Amino acid sequence: MASRLIRQSQGATKIVKQILSTDKAEARRRVLNLYKAWYRQIPYVVLNYEIPGVTVKDGRVKLREMFMKNKHVTDLRAIDFLVIRGQMELVETVNIWKQKNHIMTWFKDTWNPKPADFLSKFYEGN
Amino acid sequence: MASFVAALRQTCRFAAGRVPLRCFSATPNVCSDIKLMAPGGGLDTPTVEVPEQEDFSSISGIPSTQLESRHVRIFVPARNPMQSGTYGTRTWRMEFDTQQRWENPLMGWSSTGDPLSNMTLDFNSKEDAIVFCEKNGWQYHVEERNWPKRKIKSYGDNFSWNKRTRVSSK
Repeated sequence: MASRLIRQSQGATKIVKQILSTDKAEARRRVLNLYKAWYRQIPYVVLNYEIPGVTVKDGRVKLREMFMKNKHVTDLRAIDFLVIRGQMELVETVNIWKQKNHIMTWFKDTWNPKPADFLSKFYEGN
Repeated sequence: MASFVAALRQTCRFAAGRVPLRCFSATPNVCSDIKLMAPGGGLDTPTVEVPEQEDFSSISGIPSTQLESRHVRIFVPARNPMQSGTYGTRTWRMEFDTQQRWENPLMGWSSTGDPLSNMTLDFNSKEDAIVFCEKNGWQYHVEERNWPKRKIKSYGDNFSWNKRTRVSSK
C-alpha cells in the first residue's frame, strides 16, 4: 500500500480521451443518479428475489457499502466505467435476468472461509 | 469502437438521468461518435484530465483479496547455466509471490489454490513492468540486474607496461 500512497501524492495529471464525463462534477452527478436509481429499486428487488434474512434496510446498507468501496477512485474514466457497470447490474437485477444466487453472493461469500489456526488447517489436509 | 462507445452511451442514458449527454455535432439528437474516436485527434476531440499514474485496480475485476495480499517481483531471469547464450535474459519478468502449495494425497502431485501462481509476464524494460503493476494496483519490488564482471585472465597482462615488473638496471 505504501507505493500506492506515494503515487497519489505526486499529483501529476495528463490529458486523455474522455469516455462519458468531461469533468468531476459531471462524473459525480452520474454516480449520484445511479445511486438514487438503485436506492429506489431496492424494495422491488427485495420483494422479487426473496432472499432469506435480507430486508430493504440491509439492501440499502449493502448498496452504500458497495458504492463506498470505490470512493478512492479519482480517474474520471474509471468512474465512468464503474457507473456503466453499475447501470448494467441494475438493469439485469430489475429485469430479473439475474437469479437468486447472484443477489445472494453480494451478502455472503459462496465459499467456506479458509481455516486460520493450525489444527483446522491440519484437518483440512494442507 | 465507435459503435461500442455508442452502446455505452445508450446504456448510460438512464444512469445519467438529468445529465445532458454531450453532443458533438451541430445536428441535435445525433451524437457523432465517429468524431469522438477520430484518429489523430482534432481540436474538438473531447479530452479529460486524469492522474498521470493510472490506477485501474477498481475496474480490473481482480478480487480485493488478491490485490491487497499479493506482492510482485520484477527481475531479469537468470541465464541458463549450461552452455546456452544470454538470449533468455533480455527481458524483465514479473511474477507473484509463492502461496501455499501442498502434495496431492492421491497422486502425489503438487497442488495450489493460487490462480496467479503460474502467471509470469515479460516486459521489454523495468519501467514497463512497474507501470503495469501500478496500473493494476499490485505492490511490487524490483530486483536490479547484475551484470557479470569480466576478469582478465591473460598471463601476459601480469607483465604489461604499467605493472612495473621490468627492471632496467641490471
